[in-house]
Amino acid sequence: MASNQFIVASPPTDAISALKFSPDPNSTRIVVSSWDKNVYLYELRDENGSVGEGKLLQKFEHRAPVLDVCFGATEDEIYTAGLDWDVRKIDVATSTQTVLSSHEAGVRSVVYSKEHQLVISASWDSTLHVHRVDAPESIPSIIPLPSKPFSMSLTATKLVVAMASRALHIYDLKALSLLTAQLDGTVPNKVEVEPWQRRESSLKFMTRCVACMPDDAGYASSSIEGRVAVEWFDPSPESQARKYAFKCHRQTADDVDVVYPVNTLAFHPVHGTFASGGGDGVVALWDGIAKRRIRQYQKYQSSVAAVDFSGNGKYLAIAVSPGFEDGRDDVVEGTVKIYVRELGETEAKGKGAK
Amino acid sequence: MGKKRRGPTLDELLARPWCYYCERDFDDLKILISHQKAKHFKCERCGRRLNTAGGLSVHMSQVHKEQLSAVDNALPNRQSLDVEIFGMEGVPEDIIQTHNQRVVAQFHQAEAERQAQTGNPPPGAGAGGQPAKRPKLENVSDLKKRLAEHKAKKAEALAGGSSGDVTPVGAGQTQNAGTFSQSPSTAAPSSQYTYPQPYGGAGSPYQQTASPVYQNFSPGGQSQFPPSAQYTPSGFSPQSFQGTPAQAGAAYGTPPPFPPSQQPQQQTPQTNTPPQAAAFAQRSGSLPAVPGLPQRPAVGAPQVNAYQLQQMHMGHPVPAAGAPAGAANGEKPLGAEAAPISSSVDDLISGAAKEADQAAASAAPPTEEKPTKKDKSKQSRLVYSDNETSPEEKMAKLPRYAFVPDRLGETALEEQVPAAVTGAERGPDTVFDATD
Repeated sequence: MASNQFIVASPPTDAISALKFSPDPNSTRIVVSSWDKNVYLYELRDENGSVGEGKLLQKFEHRAPVLDVCFGATEDEIYTAGLDWDVRKIDVATSTQTVLSSHEAGVRSVVYSKEHQLVISASWDSTLHVHRVDAPESIPSIIPLPSKPFSMSLTATKLVVAMASRALHIYDLKALSLLTAQLDGTVPNKVEVEPWQRRESSLKFMTRCVACMPDDAGYASSSIEGRVAVEWFDPSPESQARKYAFKCHRQTADDVDVVYPVNTLAFHPVHGTFASGGGDGVVALWDGIAKRRIRQYQKYQSSVAAVDFSGNGKYLAIAVSPGFEDGRDDVVEGTVKIYVRELGETEAKGKGAK
Repeated sequence: MGKKRRGPTLDELLARPWCYYCERDFDDLKILISHQKAKHFKCERCGRRLNTAGGLSVHMSQVHKEQLSAVDNALPNRQSLDVEIFGMEGVPEDIIQTHNQRVVAQFHQAEAERQAQTGNPPPGAGAGGQPAKRPKLENVSDLKKRLAEHKAKKAEALAGGSSGDVTPVGAGQTQNAGTFSQSPSTAAPSSQYTYPQPYGGAGSPYQQTASPVYQNFSPGGQSQFPPSAQYTPSGFSPQSFQGTPAQAGAAYGTPPPFPPSQQPQQQTPQTNTPPQAAAFAQRSGSLPAVPGLPQRPAVGAPQVNAYQLQQMHMGHPVPAAGAPAGAANGEKPLGAEAAPISSSVDDLISGAAKEADQAAASAAPPTEEKPTKKDKSKQSRLVYSDNETSPEEKMAKLPRYAFVPDRLGETALEEQVPAAVTGAERGPDTVFDATD
């Protein structure tokens, strides 16, 4: 394997919960949230502009482990979700943290929609909080969910929330935005919103991760049982007939198929292919349209917690941290690592249907 | 016999070029080399295909200023750059050996499986290969017996001195030369025993030459056993004759003592098949089926027992004859009309499987479904098997990640913006939830 991969310096001291690249195509910044209660901001470029090793720009301490993080409208804006039940906004320039809202349980994920200027958080209290960034004074709307949310992803127009009991809701962001704009004043700002689509997961086991296609056509979801499903938003029978699922992240040992959870999925912003990272420490690239695996990288020494492509699709960041799935609860020193892989021109490109 | 080849021979398999890095084998060296260039020696950065791992390493370091550390897509123990591989060149001897061993083992396993599945004798041996060995062994034990018979015969001949005996034996010799090698009891056959060939060919000639024999007899005899009676006057002892086919049948495994293809055909003109015939056909499980013969399923239909059906459904090795017959019979109660006529074993089995899926009433389907399900999902073990609680939730419950409500109170005062709203809302819950 070529060494077009490097390890980011000064990684978190405990398991990584999320890793996001800046959506800005020219940026090489990553934010990483960790169970060590910190959010880390890295810049991969050094002073000369060449990418390598990277350096830790800033570290933002939280009160409790941070479960998710995302960039806001600019790179100076970061949103976090954590076990302290809060959804926070971090202003990088001033290093100030602002609590946007508080859930009634740990907050599992947070996403930012730049098209609609919304910050949406999903918590184990089975609610979504929708925050309007353009109106910071407004009270966030609370949308009840049927189950605990496990993962969330959005496109320009849609929000996909994957929940326990294999439930999956797809919301229309425009409708959400309009609705939340209308509701104001009443406390608590609870609102029943009918999702654009309610679906049952195509996978039989607990949904681990969901990721939307960059072209707004559909999404991929993964489960704890080494499987990934690819589905389309379009409710027409033709489009629904295209959906499929496949097995991955499995290893055969002594005739026993050891099945690992697929912890993370990320779509390539340019090619529309996607990467999956599993508890087996393997990262694979897939062509969801041609239904082909493009490549699989060599196994990392422990579970892959998160993957993400850079805004221009030239880099793939891989967060490796000990798999809590096997019941281990001690983090061995040095097992938490962030790899950044520089992708070749066609490395993540699908070959096209054969 | 210009029989169709069923697969590559061992030599052909061993001669196939294969890839050191991934153990895949290829039709020819050219394909192997292009495989290696595409899969193992291709530059990740620019897509250039190099000829060797060393070449790729140099390319990477010169062009991309990177160090190649391992060969792409290679098996875990074959990733080393130290071995210079090009096509089949450079593969270490010990690895070639292990590969060949594996190929041989696989070949034999596949062979055994196929034989078990089809009930066919091994290729090359044809019908005669195996028997060629067996009769030799048999000879040792039988020779004495035959010698004794022969001596008795001679003694009888000497005593009786009837010249009439000689003629039928001579006739028998010309007809049965290679086939009923044991039946002729004159001095002449003893020389035949020294040749392995008559035995080697015994399997196939048996059917060809023996059938005319029966054709001759059955019109007169009308059933299978009378022929022996007809032979007796010609000087054979009935036991020895009857014993012979039985032994032969046992020894050859597949070719039954009575050529079956002839039997039913002879029986067809007779509207009333003798009950013995049907019973016999059932008893000898190795009876090669007669595809496309309408009478058989009708006769044999009720005779297939559940065990046979089950065996067939489970895909266990079934004697070739048993399978079609069983399938045809099995289909009947399930209501497949066309199946008995179709000749391919695969068709029948897949058809049977389909039928079995649909008809839950029959006893066979459950036994059939279970094994296939097992086959599909092997044994699998989930690394994370809790389908209700996500790993993060589990982790969050660990004491070291526990969120301390006291700190919440402190910081909430400083940082909480809409404290009036949210603070009131979560106050009691905080205490409650954090404690469990």
